[in-house]
Amino acid sequence: MSVLAMKIIRYLRDAAVFAPCYVLLDWVSYIHPLGPFNITPWNPQPALAIAWMLLGGLGHAPAVWVTIVLADGLIRNFPAGYGVTLVSALVLAAGYTGIAWALRSLLRPAPSLRSLRQLTLFIGIVAAGTVVVASGFVGVLYAAGALEPGAALAGWLRFWIGDAVGVLVTAPLLLVAADPEQRANLWTFARRGETYVQIGLVAATLWLIFAGLGGDPSRHFYLLFLPLIWIAIRSGIAGAIVAIAIVQFGVVLGIHDRSLQTLPTIELQALVAALTLTALYLGVMVDERARAAESLKQSLRLAAAGEMAGAIAHEVNQPLTALANYGRAGQKLIEAGRVAELAEVIGRMLGEAQRASEVVRRLRDFFRQGTTRLEPVPIGELLEAVRRIGAQAQAGAVSVTVAADQDLPDLLVDRLQIELVLRNLVTNAVEALATRSQGRGKIAITASRHDARNVRIVVSDNGPGIDAAGVKRVFEPFVSGKSTGMGLGLAVSRAIAEAHGGTLEARAASHGEFHLVLPIQAHG
Amino acid sequence: MAEFAPAPLVVYVVDDDASIRDSLALMLGLGGYATRLFADAESFLVAFEPGWTGCVVADLRLPGLSGVELQARVRGRGSAIPFVIITAHGDVPTARAAFRAQAVDFIEKPFEEIQLRQAIDTAFALERRRIDAAEMRQADAARLSRLTPREREVLEHSARGLHAKEIGARLGISPRTVEVHRARIMEKLEVRNIAELVRFAIAAER
Repeated sequence: MSVLAMKIIRYLRDAAVFAPCYVLLDWVSYIHPLGPFNITPWNPQPALAIAWMLLGGLGHAPAVWVTIVLADGLIRNFPAGYGVTLVSALVLAAGYTGIAWALRSLLRPAPSLRSLRQLTLFIGIVAAGTVVVASGFVGVLYAAGALEPGAALAGWLRFWIGDAVGVLVTAPLLLVAADPEQRANLWTFARRGETYVQIGLVAATLWLIFAGLGGDPSRHFYLLFLPLIWIAIRSGIAGAIVAIAIVQFGVVLGIHDRSLQTLPTIELQALVAALTLTALYLGVMVDERARAAESLKQSLRLAAAGEMAGAIAHEVNQPLTALANYGRAGQKLIEAGRVAELAEVIGRMLGEAQRASEVVRRLRDFFRQGTTRLEPVPIGELLEAVRRIGAQAQAGAVSVTVAADQDLPDLLVDRLQIELVLRNLVTNAVEALATRSQGRGKIAITASRHDARNVRIVVSDNGPGIDAAGVKRVFEPFVSGKSTGMGLGLAVSRAIAEAHGGTLEARAASHGEFHLVLPIQAHG
Repeated sequence: MAEFAPAPLVVYVVDDDASIRDSLALMLGLGGYATRLFADAESFLVAFEPGWTGCVVADLRLPGLSGVELQARVRGRGSAIPFVIITAHGDVPTARAAFRAQAVDFIEKPFEEIQLRQAIDTAFALERRRIDAAEMRQADAARLSRLTPREREVLEHSARGLHAKEIGARLGISPRTVEVHRARIMEKLEVRNIAELVRFAIAAER
């Protein structure tokens, strides 16, 4: 009983918010009507009804019907009589419910506009749905004898364009505002200084079209595409919908202002529709691209962690192996009754456990920071560590030389990550040298001052080198056919270098050459 | 086998990690294996003699020469001593390299003692078979050296399946003398019949 009462109260409360908003929108947009009926070139209020049912549930349909009847009475005083209003409102409410139902079932996974597929479905459903609604509404008026055949056809077109544009402009605004992720984009858009320049430009363009340039506004309408495209590219769909709403508002104001003259309102609204579709598509594409870039960055970060984990797994396997060996030896000592010797073995086991935990601590540090932890690192130490790694990896066939200019300042980098980058570069060079058929492979690592804030480390080898086309390709993740899992190495290395504010580049040359630029510790 | 003193089988451990060397020596020593330890491939090669028997347990990644390259060098010096490669990088290319180099086994760190022991025992079994074969060849050679030049000629012709009469005709001696030579040969080579004699002759020709 109380649950039902709660439900009824909530329903009425929602309706009490919805109904005045709907009536207000209907009243504001009741311009350039066809006769005394609500056949206008701009109908934003259906968007409100559709969004309400789409997000809140189709159960709101009866309230929508009542509200439409109410609005017709309040604003137009039932121009075709109570009966016709009741029936035509029923047609409208049913149509909007149908559109909401179609959007609800087709916009997967959630009723939002995040993908091109969702946007295309949304536009298709709205365009088709409003055709049905316009036919039903105008059909009822015609059947009731309120419209002549000629007026019915013009009315149908005007009603359809008005409803379709109204929904296309307003519903995305409501959907985006209801989507938490996109709402965040709206806030970003609102906080950006650039936004106000863009909006100012839209306003100025509107003024030019309707007043400044004179004549038929639709002739210069194309000018609006420029600021709209700028906004959509910079801010995605969040910016696009706000800009479209402003354009629609400006167009309505412009039509109102010159209401005594005959203006091609239908043509103007068709242009608004074209502008809307362009901006929405562009906005969604920009959003999708940004999401793809973000997810690539995320996976590169994961790959860096994976490389790191691989390197550290090797470090951890050594003490683990020794630990297992000592443990087995301890068992044998017990079996042999040589218990006195156990203390020595256990002491060594503790040492190995200590060594393993040291490595794990490093690993944990890496993951805990998530990003980079910068510390002053002397270049000499770094190069020495790399030379050691190189000496292990090269397996005798390659010589590794290291040289650094005198008095280089310390780097300000994450030691583990930069070691990983340098190791990747050396491994890469060793692999490049493996393709040499004759002569001794040489890898040279040199460090010198790049500019006031950076040091340049060059890793070069006397392998075959990379051509101009390869210079770009080597950094593409997943391109390398290598099976060692190091295929991601260079992409990850570049990501790490850039995360430090540095760069990593390959040089096209007849020998292998990679340039790594890293920041130094600032003075004072 | 009992007639020869068994060759000493030693596990030669080559690993740059001091703890791994130490713990392996302790564990294997308690398991009854003799061990010798090396920190890298170069120090192993300096000490190495072709007569060493047993097996080499080498880490794949070593400073300088890798475990697989060490194996190639040892083969180049005429030794067939089996190799077991261990590594903390269990990746496909290294496993493939070890396989190509015909290592007895390829073991990832950390490993169970039983894995390593099975690998070592497999290697030792191979090694014993190799030593036995070598010893048998040596014994054969010793017995062959007891023959006179004429007896060797008779042996060679017998190996081709010639009868006493044919051998006699070729060597310009009577079939009877050939028979006498053959009896002496069989006595010196310690074989009981012609079939064994032919086997011996063929083995000696190699």
